Amino acid sequence: MGNTIIEASKIVKYFHDPVKVQVLKEVTFAVNKGEFVSVIGKSGCGKSTLLYILSTMDTDYEGDLVFDGELMRSKTHNQLAQVRNEKIGFVFQFHYLLPEFTVLKNVMLPGLKLAKLGPKEVEQNAMEKLQMLGIEDQAKKQANQLSGGQKQRVAIARALINNPLIIMGDEPTGNLDSKNGRLVFDIFKDLAAQGQSLLIVTHDQDFAEKTDRIIEMDDGRIIRM
Amino acid sequence: MAVSRLILSISKTLLLARLKQSIVAAAGVTFGIAMFITLMGFMTGLNSMLDGLMLNRTPHVRLYNEIKASEEQPINLSPDYAGEINIVRSVKPQDDGKEIYNGPAIVKALRADPRVLGVAPKAVAQVFFNVGVTDLGGSIHGIEVINEEALFALSTYVPQGNITDLENINNSVLLGKGLAEKMLADIGDVVPVTTARGQRMNLKVVGYFQSGVADIDNMQSYASLATAQKLLGKTNSYLTDIQVKLYDVELAPELAKEFEAKFGTEAVDIQAANAQFETGTNVRNIITYAVSITLLVVAGFGIYNILNMMIYEKMDSIAILKATGFSGKDVRNIFISLSLIIGITGGLFGLLLGFVFQLLIDQVPFETDALPTIKTYPINYSASYYLIGIGFAMVTTFLAGWLPARKASKIDPVVIIRGK
Repeated sequence: MGNTIIEASKIVKYFHDPVKVQVLKEVTFAVNKGEFVSVIGKSGCGKSTLLYILSTMDTDYEGDLVFDGELMRSKTHNQLAQVRNEKIGFVFQFHYLLPEFTVLKNVMLPGLKLAKLGPKEVEQNAMEKLQMLGIEDQAKKQANQLSGGQKQRVAIARALINNPLIIMGDEPTGNLDSKNGRLVFDIFKDLAAQGQSLLIVTHDQDFAEKTDRIIEMDDGRIIRM
Repeated sequence: MAVSRLILSISKTLLLARLKQSIVAAAGVTFGIAMFITLMGFMTGLNSMLDGLMLNRTPHVRLYNEIKASEEQPINLSPDYAGEINIVRSVKPQDDGKEIYNGPAIVKALRADPRVLGVAPKAVAQVFFNVGVTDLGGSIHGIEVINEEALFALSTYVPQGNITDLENINNSVLLGKGLAEKMLADIGDVVPVTTARGQRMNLKVVGYFQSGVADIDNMQSYASLATAQKLLGKTNSYLTDIQVKLYDVELAPELAKEFEAKFGTEAVDIQAANAQFETGTNVRNIITYAVSITLLVVAGFGIYNILNMMIYEKMDSIAILKATGFSGKDVRNIFISLSLIIGITGGLFGLLLGFVFQLLIDQVPFETDALPTIKTYPINYSASYYLIGIGFAMVTTFLAGWLPARKASKIDPVVIIRGK
């Protein structure tokens, strides 16, 4: 039990607008500590929707989600934010950096919010993460001055800043050229080798083949796991 | 503490990143507040000037003696004729005329009253000004210059000359402007005066008095109390009017009745004497309130709109912040502090700009016969409008930040992200 990070049972999700559509049909699965899991499936099969529910960013669903041994349904919005801050690192398809801030500040913000460490230590950690991803020389630039691949690496650094239990990615290479895509994948692979748990949604078959475990979805159901 | 400093630094960065937009938003606040302060200062300045035209010159309670025949004729007091119907024809008033009996004692008693702001006694003499072969009717008000100035700002109505000369120069007079023009009397001239009883006296002109009401300026002149008493051939206890100003003008009707009973004189209060003027004041006040509310509502909507737009533009940032673990409360606080920074800076500049506008209006020439000493438009620089202005700026910007941020803080971040 202590080995399981995510335990989803019978997750059901509807979209209400414009008509009521069932996107997820009783999805049940688990992710264990240290696993590098990819979720694949056709466009519109519900894989991103599932990921948003697992990441606690979407609370409008039925079924039970247990994250790190805690039932998420019973938590308030503020408590969920706390969970996201401390235990989940999220990488979007689009980088979603705050354009008003520098690269370094973007990486630091979740750490400053957690406030377990002082600003000095957070900054040091952020620099280490950027260094690890090979973009420490961009730290003082504004976020919108970077190239797509660089931005995505900053987003990964941001996801790592609080040493989360799991990194979740919603097509993190989907918007990158193949060279940058490979670079990002290698970063994930390295992280997995260091024991980091990852759950990545992708439609890239090659990408998925190289992960520990593939969950394939079709029409709101898991057909292979 | 660390988190709230983080939130402030985030708001600051968001503001500075779009500096131009932030300035436009703050300028919206600035102009709204500046206009409010300017107009309120101008309108209430005009209002109080108009009120002052009449009310400042009018005592809150005036004690005087009505000339009337005694109701108790001797025959009614006689026990021999009690129960009979006594008719006395051609009853005449007694010869003490308009004199307030025991005037100085009443003045002393009134000055000791804690509700009374000040007392200015007066002796009014009906006179003829002799101009060659013609006599011009008029009245000379003998006053205590210091008290008259303190209570009724007499010098405001004296375009030329110095009122203290009335006390300093023996047998001096402050001529009504209209009267002076008819007599061609300049300052320093001596004008002959005859009282209704035939006493003659030469008075030296030390200045002009101009109230703006032609009837008064053609009739009325001022002299010192002693001069008037001398002119009338009376002792220095002779008073015809006692003018009282109160701390609370609303008490005037009540106190007038009380004084009437206590001192055995007639007493008239300002509300009774100027009822029609009260109505005018009330109407003007209603207009002022209506304008001020309109201004605030218009300014408020302007501020609200600008800030609302600004926050909706930053919805993405809200989603990102929430995805990385900032709570709804954090997001709300970020946007509230962002709005308040705009509100406070915009508001403070508004106060400054409002003050500058008021100073400008204060320079615009405004000449009126009614108020000879006023040369420019009157402005009320009351601090209360500045306080209302800055308070309003803060409340509206707070609401303009709080309402959309509250909505944004409640929805799941994915709703914003998916909406892209």
